[in-house]
Amino acid sequence: MVGCEGLAGLLCKKSGGEEELGVFYPIRPECQENASRTRFRLRAGKTLSPRKWHAAFCEDGHLDIAKVLTRIQRGGIHPAIKGLVWEFLLGCYGPNSTFEERNQIRQRRREQYSIWKAECKNLVPVIGSGKFITTPIITDDGQPITDSSTNNDQGVHVNNAVSDKKAIQWMLLLHQIGLDVVRTDRTLVFYESETNQAKLWDVLAVYAWVDSDIGYVQGMNDICSPMVILLENEADAFWCFDRAMKRLRENFRCSASSIGVQAQLSTLSQVIKTVDPKLHKHLADVGLGVQPKYVLHI
Amino acid sequence: MARRPDEEYDYLFKVVLIGDSGVGKSNLLSRFTRNEFCLESKSTIGVEFATRTLQVEGRTVKAQIWDTAGQERYRAITSAYYRGALGALLVYDVTKPTTFENVSRWLKELRDHADANIVIMLIGNKTDLKHLRAVATEDAQSYAEREGLSFIETSALEATNVEKAFQTILSEIYRIISKKSLSSEEPTPANIKEGKTIVVGGSEGNAKKPCCSSS
Repeated sequence: MVGCEGLAGLLCKKSGGEEELGVFYPIRPECQENASRTRFRLRAGKTLSPRKWHAAFCEDGHLDIAKVLTRIQRGGIHPAIKGLVWEFLLGCYGPNSTFEERNQIRQRRREQYSIWKAECKNLVPVIGSGKFITTPIITDDGQPITDSSTNNDQGVHVNNAVSDKKAIQWMLLLHQIGLDVVRTDRTLVFYESETNQAKLWDVLAVYAWVDSDIGYVQGMNDICSPMVILLENEADAFWCFDRAMKRLRENFRCSASSIGVQAQLSTLSQVIKTVDPKLHKHLADVGLGVQPKYVLHI
Repeated sequence: MARRPDEEYDYLFKVVLIGDSGVGKSNLLSRFTRNEFCLESKSTIGVEFATRTLQVEGRTVKAQIWDTAGQERYRAITSAYYRGALGALLVYDVTKPTTFENVSRWLKELRDHADANIVIMLIGNKTDLKHLRAVATEDAQSYAEREGLSFIETSALEATNVEKAFQTILSEIYRIISKKSLSSEEPTPANIKEGKTIVVGGSEGNAKKPCCSSS
């Protein structure tokens, strides 16, 4: 990580202006007007800088997490180290682990990811190819769809009928992931690259394969996108996303009549009802309550 | 307290936008309500809505348009939003045949969850992508006729027929509502004016409506 530290060290000498942050998350020139601006500012002495971050590790690699958290709470994280810090915040690594232990865990996880990715690639060759799909490749009953005018690249099609139920369910999600990938954070220069879009697609596709209970639900792309941008290594990005999903996956659980996030909305509704009954009544009146009551005139 | 001018209306009509993911539902909504088209738009998560007040058949109508996520998994929550909807705009993408093939699924969805008398309009969007067209106008037209739906092709990007599509469905809803008001004591415009959502009677079964051609 010397290169990263070197770049960050150089940038830290400048003031915490918008230009400096723009280096990390550049916005496409044609989108400058519409893109939302970050309110984050680097604040000397408050923001967790690369120097302070590295100083928080003792010789064998234990991290003084309390010190780090205090800094983050005061002034956020310098973008140059955000990916590394997030790995700890999301729980990929315990603060008491050593450098050596973390290297081993990282190695093991990268191998595990490549095994899963190979399983996926075996079913759908376009996985890991730097390309991705936005139109369905199989029917509900597992028959390959071949006559699509937009999927004319080699290796995109599925050649044989698929009978395994898990495989069918997973393959039916792939074009949906693609449709959302092309619409994810597209004001950023990062996603002008098809390779980067495919990286997001691969991570989401492999996750959907591994966590088949949840699969893929629209909205997961927005959670995954920062990991894919911040972590250069795709497997590392996957594991960060996996940790985030450990906390969030129940929100995405869908049944025939409900979706997980409704439980939270219901709690929110109760809170509003207590804190601001007038607002609660208004929301219910315009049909925005969790269980809206409609007046029927038949 | 006096109502602001934009809150004065004779009718409130709830209309839902449905159709496969990525066919342009959200941009049809933003084109109609704000005259905007966003090239960088994100996927819709769950449900969103926007309103616009306009003149329909000489009456002031507040159109409340609900926009839903296209992914099938979101059906669990979106089906609840069909309740009280007087109209549905069923959108497909003229460059993606599968989105047209799925129209029948969406119709079934409506027939299972919405009121039997809901006014349905089939919309083929993205006509600006002329070189990529993969669904013929005639095919969609004859499908719409068979199913008793209105039909129109639009381009949210070029603002082609968007106004006309909404005007047409709102007029049709108005005609049904005003007929109801004449024949029944119950759903008078006064009720509607208070912003309550109404459902047109379900006693007439699945009556098919004449097709309204765009050409």
